[in-house]
Amino acid sequence: MGPSGMGKSTLLHLIGGLDHPTHGEVHVGGERIDHLSEAKLTRWRAQNVGFIFQSHHLLPVLSAQANVELPLALTPLNKKQRQQHAATALGLVNMSERAHHLPKELSGGQEQRIAIARAIVSDPKILLCDEPTGNLDRKTADEILALLAKLNKDFGKTIIMVTHDQKAAEYASRVIDLEQYINSTDCIGNEPPQKSLEIN
Amino acid sequence: MTSFFYYQDIKQALKQAAALTWINFKSFPYRLIASSISMLSIACVAAVMLGVLALTDGMVKTMARTGLDNTLLVMRSGAVSELQSVMFPVEVNLLADHPQILRDKNNRSIISAEMFVNAEYKSDLLTINNNIVSSNTVNDNTINTNTIKPKKVIQTNDIQKTQSLALRGISQNTYLFRPNFKLVAGQRFKTGLRELLIGQAVARRMPELKVGTVITLGGSNWTISGIFSDNNSVFESELWADIGIVQSDYRRGNTVQSVRLALQENTVIEQLNQEWLNDPRLNVRVIAEKTFFADQAKNLTRLIRWIGLPVALIMALGAIIAALNTMYGAIASRSKEIATFKAVGFTPFATSILSESLLLASVGGLLGIIPLYFVFDGWTAATQNADSLSQMMFNFNISPLLISQAMLLSVSIGLIGGILPAIKAMRLPVTLALRDD
Repeated sequence: MGPSGMGKSTLLHLIGGLDHPTHGEVHVGGERIDHLSEAKLTRWRAQNVGFIFQSHHLLPVLSAQANVELPLALTPLNKKQRQQHAATALGLVNMSERAHHLPKELSGGQEQRIAIARAIVSDPKILLCDEPTGNLDRKTADEILALLAKLNKDFGKTIIMVTHDQKAAEYASRVIDLEQYINSTDCIGNEPPQKSLEIN
Repeated sequence: MTSFFYYQDIKQALKQAAALTWINFKSFPYRLIASSISMLSIACVAAVMLGVLALTDGMVKTMARTGLDNTLLVMRSGAVSELQSVMFPVEVNLLADHPQILRDKNNRSIISAEMFVNAEYKSDLLTINNNIVSSNTVNDNTINTNTIKPKKVIQTNDIQKTQSLALRGISQNTYLFRPNFKLVAGQRFKTGLRELLIGQAVARRMPELKVGTVITLGGSNWTISGIFSDNNSVFESELWADIGIVQSDYRRGNTVQSVRLALQENTVIEQLNQEWLNDPRLNVRVIAEKTFFADQAKNLTRLIRWIGLPVALIMALGAIIAALNTMYGAIASRSKEIATFKAVGFTPFATSILSESLLLASVGGLLGIIPLYFVFDGWTAATQNADSLSQMMFNFNISPLLISQAMLLSVSIGLIGGILPAIKAMRLPVTLALRDD
C-alpha cells in the first residue's frame, strides 16, 4: 500500500520482470531476474507470473474463452488441451457460462474475473495484482477479493497486490506500506535504499 | 541438442506470430476506415504503375513485331523518321541497281518505295439516343449496320473530332515486305483509285470505319476497300493507299519518303552504308527496318517512363505515408492491447504488424490491379507517335509479369510502411502503456 507516486506499480513491474531496476537486484523465488535477457525474462514471466490489472485489458475481439486461452499459445499444449485448461480456469472464477461472450457483453466484475482466469490459466506461482478492484463497486470488489483469497488458500498462489483499498488489505497475510518502508531506510533523494525489501 | 532448442524457439516464435496475426486480423473491422484509405492509396499506385507498364509493354511489343531483319530502310540523311525524309527517283534507281539487292525471277530489284503522310481525318461522330451515327457513311455501297438516322438534325461540324492518321502510299511490291499481311475483310485497294486498306488496329479503334465507308482525307473522298492485319505490328495503325494517288493528293510530285530494299543474305549493312555514304549522288541514311522500329520503341517508352514513373513514384510515396499513418494509428489505438500481449509473454510484434501492413498492401494492390485487368486487358489504345506524329495503336496486354511487378511495388509499400510502426510496437514500454489514465 501507499500513496500515489510512491512506486507501488513500479515495484510490481520489477517483480514481474516488466521493468528493469536502475540500481540493485531483483530476486524472485531465489532466482535473480534483473540480469536476464529479454527473451529469457519473457519465458520466465510466462511460466511464473500472472498479471491482473486495474483495467482488465481483455482483447475486445476475442471471446472470454479465447482471452483466457491466450497465454497458453506460448506453451506446447495443443488446441484441445488449451481449451480444457481455459475451461477449468473459467470454472474456478465461476464464468463457465459466459465463456463465449465478448468482453463488451460482460459487466466490469465479470471482465475482471475473466482477467483473473487468464492470469491463472498457465498455473503461475505468483499473481501480481495492480489495484484489481480499483474500477469495481464494493460488492463486486469483495467478490473478486474473495476469489483471490481462495486462489491463495486453496491453490497456493502467491498473490502480491498493490492497492489503495483498506478493505482489500484486510485479506492480505502481510501488508507493506511503501511510504513507511522508504522512510524507515536511509534512502535519500534518488539513491537506492540501503536495506533490501523482502516479500516472503 | 542446441539445434533442437533452436528449432523449438523458431517453432514457438512462428506459433506466437500466427496467433498475434490472427488476432490482428480479427480486430481489423475496428480500423476499417483508416485501413481502407491506406488500401485505396496503394490500389491507385498499383493501377498507375500497371497502366504505365502495360502502356510501355504494349508499345514495345507492337514495335518489336514491326520490321524485318533482312530489309533495309533508306531515308534522306539526317531524317529520324519517314515523315522527315524525301527521296528523288534518281536516288531510288541508284539504290535499286545495287548488286546486293535481291531480284525477282524477271531480274527486277525487290524494292518498295513508299510515301508516308499524316492525313487529317475528321470523324463526324454524333451520339444521339445512345446510338452511334457516322455522318461519313454516305454512299449506297456502305456496309454499316450500326448506322441509324438521327431523329434530330445536328450540325455535325460542331462536334467534329480531328485526328491525325498515318497514310502510307505503297505499291504492289510493298506486300512482299509484309510477310504477315492478311486481309481481314474486303479486298486490296485498286491501283489508280482512291481506295484505302486500313489496319485492324485502326478499325478497332474507330468502329465507324468499315469496308465500304467513305472518308475524307486531305480534302478528297476515299473508300475503304479492306481491313488488314499484320501480326499486331505498327503497320496495323496505318491506312494504305496507292502511292501515285497519295503523291498526287499531297502534291509530292514523284518523290518518295522511304525505300525498303530486300537484301541478299551475305550483305553487310555497314559496308553498304559506307559505300552509299561515299557516293556523291546519294544523300541517304541506311538502317535495318527492325532496328529502326526498335529505336522508335525506345524513344516512345523512354518518354512514357519519364512521365509515368515519376507520377507512380510520387503516388507510392503518398501511399507509404498513408500506410505509415494507418499502422501508427493502429499501434496507438492498441497500445494497451500490445502491452498486455507483452506482459503475458508474446514477443513477435514486428511480425504481426508487418503481416497486417503487408496484407493491407496486398489487398490494395489487388484492388488496383483487378479492375484494370478486366477493363483494359486487350484494349486497343492510341497514342501520338513522337517520331511519325501520327496515331499509333497498340494493345494493352496486362501480362502476369506486369501484374507481379505492380504487386511487388504494392508489397514493398506495405513493407516500408510497416517497418517503422513494427519497430515502435517492439519498443513500446509495457509499463507505460499499461498505466491507467
